[in-house]
Amino acid sequence: MQKNRIQQLHPMTKFFFALLVSAAVLIIPGFIFSFLVFPILLVIATAAGIVKEFFGTVMKALLFLLIIIFFMQLLFYPGDHVMGQWGIFKWTEEGLNYGLTLTSRILAMGSAFILFFRLTEVRDFVKSLEDAGLPPMGAYVVLSTLQIIPEMRRHANTIMDAQKTRGVETEGSMLTRAKAFIPTLTPLILSSISSTEERAITLESRAFSAPTKKTSLHKLTKSTADRILPFVYIIILIGLVLWRILR
Amino acid sequence: MNSIIEMKNVSYRYPVSEDWNIKNASFTIEKGKFTAIIGNNGSGKTTLCNIIRGFIPHFYKGDLEGDVIVDEKKIVEYQLGQLGEKIGYVFQNPFIQVSGVKDTVFDEVAFGLENLGVEENEIIDRVNEILKLIKIEHLREKHPMGLSGGQRQRVALASIIVMNPDILVIDEPTSQLDPIGTEHVFDIIRLMKEQGKTIILVEHKMDLIAEYADNLIVLNNGEIVLQGPVREVFADPRYGEYNIQYPHVTEVALNLQRNGVQLKYVPIRDEELSESISWSGVGEGAYD
Repeated sequence: MQKNRIQQLHPMTKFFFALLVSAAVLIIPGFIFSFLVFPILLVIATAAGIVKEFFGTVMKALLFLLIIIFFMQLLFYPGDHVMGQWGIFKWTEEGLNYGLTLTSRILAMGSAFILFFRLTEVRDFVKSLEDAGLPPMGAYVVLSTLQIIPEMRRHANTIMDAQKTRGVETEGSMLTRAKAFIPTLTPLILSSISSTEERAITLESRAFSAPTKKTSLHKLTKSTADRILPFVYIIILIGLVLWRILR
Repeated sequence: MNSIIEMKNVSYRYPVSEDWNIKNASFTIEKGKFTAIIGNNGSGKTTLCNIIRGFIPHFYKGDLEGDVIVDEKKIVEYQLGQLGEKIGYVFQNPFIQVSGVKDTVFDEVAFGLENLGVEENEIIDRVNEILKLIKIEHLREKHPMGLSGGQRQRVALASIIVMNPDILVIDEPTSQLDPIGTEHVFDIIRLMKEQGKTIILVEHKMDLIAEYADNLIVLNNGEIVLQGPVREVFADPRYGEYNIQYPHVTEVALNLQRNGVQLKYVPIRDEELSESISWSGVGEGAYD
């Protein structure tokens, strides 16, 4: 995969950016700024060439949640300035304000982190955590999970096929399929547990617990931008806090 | 001759097992020798490998009696991590024998060296060399989870050999391979032997064992029933009692013997057959 300048940034630089956005929307009151964050993120995503995937993930992950939260707050947030009524439901100005603030913040934070994970490969992120002091064991757990899930799905399909050949009904109505699914769980879980043992032996035979310091072929480099940007973030953050206090 | 692995009256049983899985096994393996462990399914070959590698008693619990000495030190005195450098273990199931955190075969093979803290440039050189040796260079950018059984078996072998251990314990490395792949693995094993490594191999393909191995350990129901140089073991009349396959040529020769043909010795390699038959006992027509 060809990486552009934004994707090439150090994972930590991108991670701190997501944190900065989260902090900023909490510091700045009201919802106008927070709603502005999303278009800014869209611009960054466009510059990084991933705007389509980014927008798609945000819609899938957040839209439904935001709508529900907005209406819950609108209708049930306590307040005196009633704006309208429909049956037993009435909405207030306070509710509207709070609903917008909350949804704008969730949208900003959520999309900032979605952007982060869209821009960063998990492998790189884990590596940067490892560089920052995460023990190799922890890094292994995170990374192996990523590979084991598709492997388990494949395994579940194999088990289902095996049961199909023995005459278990696996197609048809929802109920039939649900019934067919349950008997696959036992072999799937049991075999996963037993393969854990072999996995541990594999790691051991590759000297995973050797009492030496590990090296790594996978290297992350820090560019000039990676050295400057964190300071820029800190200055912005201090500026925001001061502005909030002094205002 | 200096022994590198020594077992004295070793017995072992798995935690929930009632019977002993290995019964009173004693043997010595000399440095630089190629020893094959053979026996029928369930006779304890893999368990014996686990004992040699130290997974018993460090990883599996259960009762272990007797002494296992590797390089003049008892196995219980090693830490499991230390043994990784000393003994390479390629085990049976090739499908689980991947680290599960690497995206390419190249990185997969490099994983062991990373764990040993080898310097990066050296890792790259060594991995390249091994990929060439095992002839899996064409797989280097492939995802390890997407390989076939035979390919995975070769990657697993490469991942262990690259760590350059003194002792190699290899448990059925060719079960998923075609005849050419199998020959190839044996070529690699021979190469390892030429480099002075001690090799312990579990295998069912007797023709290849007869050709390459120095010594043979025969297991039956957890007991070592025969051991010694390959030729002597195959020629031992007791060998036939355990229903283990002979090398094909030995089978043929023994059948001939039963039908009255005199043998000068029991052949174990294909090219020895004609030489081993005492032609004086055969009719004149056989010469044509």
